[in-house]
Amino acid sequence: MTPRPRRALVRPHVVTGGRAHPTRNVFDLVTLVVAGSGGGPTAGLNPEQRRLLDLCRGGPLSVAEIAGHLDLPTSVTKVLLSDLVDGGHLSVRAPAAPSQLPSVPLLQEVLDGLRARL
Amino acid sequence: MAPFLWAAVFAYAAAGVLLLRERRIRTALTRQNASLTTELRARDGELRHLVSTRLPELADSLRNPAVTVSGPLYERELAGTEYARGLQSVMDMFTESAGRAGERADQSAKTTLRAMMRVVQSLANEQQVAISDMQERHDDPAVLADLLRIDHMNAQLGRRVQATAVLCGSWPGQQRSASALTDVVRGATSRIRDYLRVRLYAQMNMAVVSRAVEPVVLTLAELLDNAARHSQPNTSVEVNFQATHNGVAMMIDDAGVAMGAEELHQAARRLSGQQALDIHRLGDPPQVGFAVAGVLAARYGFTVSVDTQSPYGGVRAVVFLPMDLLTRIPAETGAPGAAPEQPAAREDRAGQTSSGLPKRRRMEVAAAVAPSPEPADRPARPAREIAAGMGAWQRGTRSGRAAPLDSEGKEPRA
Repeated sequence: MTPRPRRALVRPHVVTGGRAHPTRNVFDLVTLVVAGSGGGPTAGLNPEQRRLLDLCRGGPLSVAEIAGHLDLPTSVTKVLLSDLVDGGHLSVRAPAAPSQLPSVPLLQEVLDGLRARL
Repeated sequence: MAPFLWAAVFAYAAAGVLLLRERRIRTALTRQNASLTTELRARDGELRHLVSTRLPELADSLRNPAVTVSGPLYERELAGTEYARGLQSVMDMFTESAGRAGERADQSAKTTLRAMMRVVQSLANEQQVAISDMQERHDDPAVLADLLRIDHMNAQLGRRVQATAVLCGSWPGQQRSASALTDVVRGATSRIRDYLRVRLYAQMNMAVVSRAVEPVVLTLAELLDNAARHSQPNTSVEVNFQATHNGVAMMIDDAGVAMGAEELHQAARRLSGQQALDIHRLGDPPQVGFAVAGVLAARYGFTVSVDTQSPYGGVRAVVFLPMDLLTRIPAETGAPGAAPEQPAAREDRAGQTSSGLPKRRRMEVAAAVAPSPEPADRPARPAREIAAGMGAWQRGTRSGRAAPLDSEGKEPRA
């Protein structure tokens, strides 16, 4: 992966309007977000938020992936995401239930399998 | 008796003649004396005039072209004399050498300043990279808040340095890829103090070509800063685009006070970029905005004018970009208001980027995914196989999480 452009033309303070604190504290790197069904009016959104919505229309994405696609720091992305969730454009997808996650023995088996093939 | 009489008559006659001659000579001498005195007084007066009035005026006029240098006082009396020619050549030599000295001083001041600015500019750039790195690394909103403030200040610092360097005849520096008009305006907004007051509602599917991005951003930043500083803090500064048959006009409206006739005249002179720029005459505090805009406009082939009144009562600054500084919008930045595209369409656009258009984020992602299907055909490489196994595992997990999705949508993001 090439390094992100660190001298971006549009600086983050303009992207977030000077705000650093997300309006909701529900995001971590692996939180999945998905575009809302309504997809309300996008008139007041800035270009980054529009691109973010475009990205999420393809399916749920993690916060880390979105930040990568937008070339923005994760903390800045969270501010934008909070706004979009507040505006009803996005919703946070419930994390997978523990029972759906692969169990530790299964992961161990996979790891052993990989080692065996090495 | 007679001879004595004759002698007396002769003597009187001779005396009379002599007397007459004497008087004539005296008259002539008196006249000559008077004319010499007059000329001497004229020369004295002229010399005093030269020293006390004309040379000081000449010295002033080198600093301020509005000062007129008065002519000689006794032009008629001294016309055509060696003396008058001598004085004129003194004036000429003075003008010439003062002009040359001024030019040399200006050049050396500019050279020194340019070298200093280059150092400060590279420091500001380094600092910006450091700030961006920190923004990436820290996920704490409190840290981000501080970083945003520092970033904002650094952006303003960078603009000031760049502006000074440009006035000293330097390049704006910083290579940029072609950027959408909205991003150019927002980039300029990033660099001014009152960035929250700038409103940009307009959208246009045009981009500024790579070589003109930084100059246009710098010009807009100076104009936006002017607009924000010359209007009330509670008013907004609006930016609009207007397409014309041979380019795009970008309009910056403020709700401040309009400029007076004299100010407009001076602004027009600076914005034309034609007037030789003297960094000593920018005033204190220096008024660099229009001067920078003028220099950049002349060098890169766009125009800037401020002679229209804004609908809000203040000034409307218009930056006109001709077609050869514009290009189609680069892929990925996309038309901001455009309908959402299907992933397949986005893939196409990513393909276009290879033909010179800059950002290729999707390609990076694709590159990260690429190894996974490949090693299946080549069991000879164990390392690849491991990657394939990992990739498959990763995909499986993700497909489990994103169960209701169509496979087409997810593929490019894996």
